[in-house]
Parts: sequence; structure tokens; C-alpha cells
Amino acid sequence: MATVTNWIEHLSAEKVQGAVYPGVGTEGILVLIAFVIWIGWTVISARQETEKLEKLARKRHGSNDWKNNVTDG
Amino acid sequence: MTDELGALTTIFTEFYYWITVVLMFLIHVGFCMYEVGASRYKHHQHTLMKNTMLIPLVTVTWFLFGWWIYWAFPTGPGLAPSIMNESAALITDESTFSAKWYVPTSDLMAVNLGDHISGVFWAAFLLFSWTAASIVSGAIIERITTFAFGILAIAIGSVFWTIDAAWGWHFDGWMLKILGYHDAYASGVIHAVAGGFALGVLAVLGPRIGKFSSSGEPRNIGPRNPWLVTIGLFLIYTGFWGFYAACNIPIFNLGPEYGMEGVTYFTATNIYVTPTTLSGITMNFLMSLSGGLLAGYVISRGDPFWTYSSGLAGIICASAGNDLYHPIQSMIIGMIGVVIAYKLHYWVERKFKIDDAVGAVAVHGYAGFAGLVICGFVLNGYPSSGYSVGAMWDGSNYAAINPLGMFIGALIMFVVLGFIPGWILAKVLHGMGKLRIPREVELAGLDYEIMEAAKEDEKSVASASR
Repeated sequence: MATVTNWIEHLSAEKVQGAVYPGVGTEGILVLIAFVIWIGWTVISARQETEKLEKLARKRHGSNDWKNNVTDG
Repeated sequence: MTDELGALTTIFTEFYYWITVVLMFLIHVGFCMYEVGASRYKHHQHTLMKNTMLIPLVTVTWFLFGWWIYWAFPTGPGLAPSIMNESAALITDESTFSAKWYVPTSDLMAVNLGDHISGVFWAAFLLFSWTAASIVSGAIIERITTFAFGILAIAIGSVFWTIDAAWGWHFDGWMLKILGYHDAYASGVIHAVAGGFALGVLAVLGPRIGKFSSSGEPRNIGPRNPWLVTIGLFLIYTGFWGFYAACNIPIFNLGPEYGMEGVTYFTATNIYVTPTTLSGITMNFLMSLSGGLLAGYVISRGDPFWTYSSGLAGIICASAGNDLYHPIQSMIIGMIGVVIAYKLHYWVERKFKIDDAVGAVAVHGYAGFAGLVICGFVLNGYPSSGYSVGAMWDGSNYAAINPLGMFIGALIMFVVLGFIPGWILAKVLHGMGKLRIPREVELAGLDYEIMEAAKEDEKSVASASR
């Protein structure tokens, strides 16, 4: 996984390789993972939000009921 | 980097942009505080989370495709050939500034010892993206779902503003070449487009419950925490310094860049690679802020909320030409922008029943639009770009700055890339039933259950004896 194991050798090479992160060449897989995380997060959070809103809507609280829930700080 | 002076210039530039990113982070802190201060108590935490979550959503999508769009779209595509490869297609070839180097799989999109600039430049533009999305966020508080806002934030932050930046900011942008578009500190590129987008969303989203009486008269739902609003706006002002600096190139030798034989001329430039000074734009920033505050105080009769917002509107209105204006011109332009924004806000509110909770459409959209139009008159005849002379695909010059080109540019920003996409996306989300929270939740308050749980916790702690 390590792209660099010896900085002296790396920096004294005739052409210094710029990319030094682990796993150079696996960028495509990393991007795919990022896409999956983004879309997955969107789906999960949207589902959570819908459930939460539906549950609260069913309770039909009045517009001033929240005042009963004000804490003393 | 083996040459000492070259290395120093590169690392200075890297550090310069890094500092601008840190400063611009304060814009987002300010927007969060401002929005929470403007919202009602029962919606506070939801309002905060909505604006906070745009950070990861816009950042990830900016990495995946937003940055690529900026480098690929300067030609339209199909509107004007690139000066690099003389093609009007998307710029994805092997040329130096091609989008090819900014796909997410590129090794320049990471720690790369051969490139000290791409990452900080990417980040500076990303912070602009957050700002664009955050402008929209404020207008729509207390009734939009977080899901819908996330989609809209990505649309404005990682797609539409970056298209307008490619068209009107990139040195190869077709709007510079054909229209003579000039927008040094983003009156249109950020503010008009985000204001227009917010207006498009608001037209579909509708007002908060209670905003208008049965006869259609608007009611004031003022900020619930004016002190948080105050600190928020001061932080936005502070972050705006970073925004201005980030729109400049800190050090550039224009002699060889312009092809002037034997000439060496080091200077700071704006994003169009025409000379300006950090010193001069600092004066203009402060004078346009002052003009906005002066006008806002009078026109709102000393209302703190509008006076602070007017300071911002003053800067936004003068921003298009603040690289070249005289400070007193900046001040006057800032004042004009505030009067237009304030009057239009209330006219649109009454006429179209638009509930813009924080005046974002006015401060960013109308002031930005006005700033572009004014710039067309005041800077009429100046070159729109440093690459203006003989650089076009046919050897002719870029169009000079002119009133008609700037007016068309303002329409493109506010309407074409702002209002229309915002309206269409909001319509789609509305059609899916995902745009607006249920009426019962809006009345109860988005934070109802969090507050209820906190009250229960408090009761159990209060009744404890040990």
C-alpha cells in the first residue's frame, strides 16, 4: 500500500513522483466508494426524516405547545 | 521545486489561498448564527442542522463533479471556442487547464508533490460554493425538508454556480469573450445566481404559515435573537475579506503572460488576470460596506436587521467592479444597491406573496444584479480580461466591458442559471411531495421532539436526590 518507503530515494529520483498517497492507482475504486457513501447517506437520512416528520405530524400539537418544553437552561 | 525564488512564490501562493479558505469559513459560521437568530425558537436546531449539513454535501459533490464542471464548461459548450484549443466543445483534452486534470480520479486531486496550488484553489472555490448554498438556505427556513434542501444545495453549490463561474469568471469563459462580462468579486457569479435560485425555490415553496393575513397583508416575523443575527453578520463581513482575497491572484508577472517582449511587471491581479492591488480593493471593500450601512440605516429608519444586511448588500453591489472603482464610487454604488434591494424586497413581497425570511433574495440577488448593470456603465470600455488582445480563436479581441453585455450577463446569472433551475427543481421536489414539511409539523415546530426530550431529561434530573 505504501507508495513511499524511503524519502531520500524518492526525492533523489531523476523524475520525482508527485502522488505520494497510499494506493496510487486505486483512485477509481475510492471514487466509487465516495459515490456509494453519498447516495447511501441521502437515502438513509431521507427515510429517517420522513419517519420523524410523519410521527410528529400525527400528534397534531398546537402552535404554542412547544412552550411547555422550554427548559430552564 | 529547485529554484529558490520560484519555490518561494509557489509556497507563498499556496499559503495565501489557504488563509483565504480559513477566513471564508467564518462566512459559514456567520450564516449559521444569522439563520438561527432569524428563526423562531421552535425551529432553531433544525435550522442549524440544515445549514450545517450543506458543508459535507456540497464538499463531496464538489470533489466528485463540481470542480470538473468549472474547468470543462467555459466554452458553453458550443457558445465560443476556447483560446487554448480553438474548439467549442467541453475542455477535456490535454491542454494545461483542461478539466481532464480535475476528474476525481486524477492524481492532482490529492497530496501531490508536483502541485501545490490545485488543492487550495479547489478549496477556495468550494467555500464560494458553500456561500451560494447558504444564501439559499436562509430564505427558506422553517418550512423546507432537509432532504429537499440537500438536493437544492448541491444543485446551486456544485452545479449551477460552477457553470456560471466557468462562463463568467474563467479566463476562457464565453461571457468574457462575447459579452465583455466583468465581475471581479462576484456580484453576479455568486450573489445574483444564488439570489435568483432562492427566489425560484420560494415561488414554489410558499410562505411560512401566518406570514400573510387573509387579506394578503404581510406580517413581520422578526428575528428572535437579534444578538445572534448581529454576530452572524459581523462574521460574514469578516469572512468576506477572505472572499475578496481569494478572488485575486496574489503575485503574477504580467509581462510574459501578456506576451510583452522584455517587460517584467509583477502585480496582484483579479481572477481575469488584469492588474489590481490588494490595497485598493481593501479601500473599496470598506467604502462599499460603509455606503451600504449609511443607506440601510436611513431607508430602514434605523432597523438593525436591515442596516446590517445593507452593509453586506453595499459590498455585493460594488463587487463586480471593486477591482477598479474609486472608493467613493464604491460607496455610492453600495448605497444605490441598498435602495434598490430594500424597495424591491417589499414590492415583491406584497405583489407576489414571496416570504424571503432573511431578505436573501434582496441582499444577494437584487443588489448583485444591480451591481452588474452599474458596472457595465462605470467600467464601460475597460478590457474584460487580461487575455483580451488578439487572443480570440480568430485573432480578434475579447469584447470590452459594456452596459448591454453586463445587463445580459446579469439576466443570465439571476434568471437563466438562478431563478429557472431553482423553480424547476422545487417543482419536481414538490411533485414528489418532498419539498415542504407537513403543516402540523410547521405549527408544532421542527424541534418539538428534541425539546420534549430535553424537558423530560430536565425533570428527571430535577427530581433526583443524589
